Amino acid sequence: MTDQDLLTAFTRILRNLLGDDSIVLALNTRRSDVDGWDSFMYVNFIVAVELELKIKFSVADVESFETVGDIAAEARTLLG
Amino acid sequence: MLFNSYEFIFVFLPVTLAGFFLLGLSSRNLALGWIVAASLAFYAWWRPINVLIIAPSIFVNFVLARWLLRLAADKTRAGLARLVLVLGIVFNVAFLGYFKYVNFLATAANDLVGTNFVLTQIVLPLGISFITFQKIAFLIDVHGRRIPSFSLRDYCLFVLFFPQLIAGPIVHYREMMPQFQHAPCRWDKENIAVGVSLFVFGLFKKVVLADGISEHVSPIYEMAAAGSEITLLPAWIAAIGFTLQIYFDFSGYSDMALGLARFFGVRLPANFDSPLKATNIIDFWLRWHMTLTRFLTAYLYNPLALWLTRRRMAKGLPGLGGRAPSAGAFLQLLAGPTLLTMFVSGLWHGAGYLFILWGLLHGVYLSVNHAWRLFGPRLRTETADRFMRPTGFVLTFLSVAVAMVLFRSANVGAAKELLQGMVGLNGVSLPQQIYAQLGPLTALLQSFVSASTDMSAQELVLAMAWLGVLLLVALLFPNTLQLMARYEPALGVHPRPAAPLAFLRALDWTPTAPWAVAMCALVVATVMRLGGKSEFLYWQF
Repeated sequence: MTDQDLLTAFTRILRNLLGDDSIVLALNTRRSDVDGWDSFMYVNFIVAVELELKIKFSVADVESFETVGDIAAEARTLLG
Repeated sequence: MLFNSYEFIFVFLPVTLAGFFLLGLSSRNLALGWIVAASLAFYAWWRPINVLIIAPSIFVNFVLARWLLRLAADKTRAGLARLVLVLGIVFNVAFLGYFKYVNFLATAANDLVGTNFVLTQIVLPLGISFITFQKIAFLIDVHGRRIPSFSLRDYCLFVLFFPQLIAGPIVHYREMMPQFQHAPCRWDKENIAVGVSLFVFGLFKKVVLADGISEHVSPIYEMAAAGSEITLLPAWIAAIGFTLQIYFDFSGYSDMALGLARFFGVRLPANFDSPLKATNIIDFWLRWHMTLTRFLTAYLYNPLALWLTRRRMAKGLPGLGGRAPSAGAFLQLLAGPTLLTMFVSGLWHGAGYLFILWGLLHGVYLSVNHAWRLFGPRLRTETADRFMRPTGFVLTFLSVAVAMVLFRSANVGAAKELLQGMVGLNGVSLPQQIYAQLGPLTALLQSFVSASTDMSAQELVLAMAWLGVLLLVALLFPNTLQLMARYEPALGVHPRPAAPLAFLRALDWTPTAPWAVAMCALVVATVMRLGGKSEFLYWQF
């Protein structure tokens, strides 16, 4: 999966979670850049990504992600 | 040793800084070692036995962390690494539990099931809750391979650094150690100017503002604890007054910690960002004791919510969020973990029923706030915002003030008395002198307002004046981080765009003569009040 594929999937998942079709994610997007993407929605987003991609992030990684690009990079590592 | 004591300001701090800068001329290692020694002296000053109590815990954590470091490098031993981490967390929680909670558990058992456990006298090491949380975070970070290596000296520096040793901010090794490694260990006039100003701002907030209003607030809580009925006005003065007292006390302490660290060229993370200006309770917790919120979110709430969400979604049940969130998902994935996290927060603050109630009440507030976001109407228009923001501000402020009554009251009876007073169940009374001046209004008001001798007219007016001034400062003035943003007073605080109004731009702190005069005025006002009866509220934790 390319970064663009992951971005497309992440954007779709987050739009569904937050009920906001205006969200556009980029690799350098941070949680604070998206209205309503608080720590509660973050956990849901991570699990939705895990289910979609059939991967499992470590708890430590979930804590250390700072940008969407960090999540994409770890997802690509886990996808192999 | 208190930051606002003569011995700290006029002896400990100058000697520590002089030693640091002198040793820094010849060796960074010596200068950093000096900070460790000074921090130990700082910690031992009040009660030397504190060091003897805390030292074994520091040593055990060091050994466990070194073990974890070796295990983390070998992916085949992940199971053992997890076991060592769990052992470390259990050790730290048990250590904290023994010193802080044994007597509370015994009392609770005696109350609930009628046992007769005898309470023992246990010396509570200063700042044990802060120190314990920081060590737990350290172990988790080593296990998560976020700390690639550390020496005994660096570990001690991280654990003992005196500006944040007793009452935070709760820091991460990875945000502190690179700063120590690159600190100039030399006299730097910008660091000194910024450090002195932060320290003076904090000292002023603590000694003049927090201690000032405390004189008008504490007697009301003492009366409530003694069983007196507290009527409407004093009850509200107590609730709002203590909210302001603890805000200026703890944010003042945090400013002092930022300033002290800055003398050594180190920036601590921000701990306060004008929380009383928050327009909802979620926002409040992102601005109040920010490093505790960060700790609890990262190490308790998120792992728990992640585990629950994975379990729920693996069963094919919907998660939280989406266009039609379910009540079941909300209760299981959000309200449950939130209540548990805030329960722990309450318990962390103190071993007592009222602290637990305070935490749970905030858990309920947060859950209601999230429920409103998820299930409430989507009011995103500008007109709605104009109404919702002030409404949210008032609701948040009142909710925080009500909960503070639980936090401050000496016992459940006192809290009940004050809360009853706040809703008018204890009636409304005015000082005799004011009541006598009501004239024709007396006939109109006498059915529900009575004259009282509990509080003189002068006391009431003074208390109200303190409330008014402190509210003005807390709600309308820029905070220290904003005033000094140009000089990055805390980690991650960056210069903001210039304020649109010349008046506000003039408030930006700069090392210039007018600001020097202003800081001197704050120093004079503070020094005149130094030495009075004063204790930081958060040092007891």
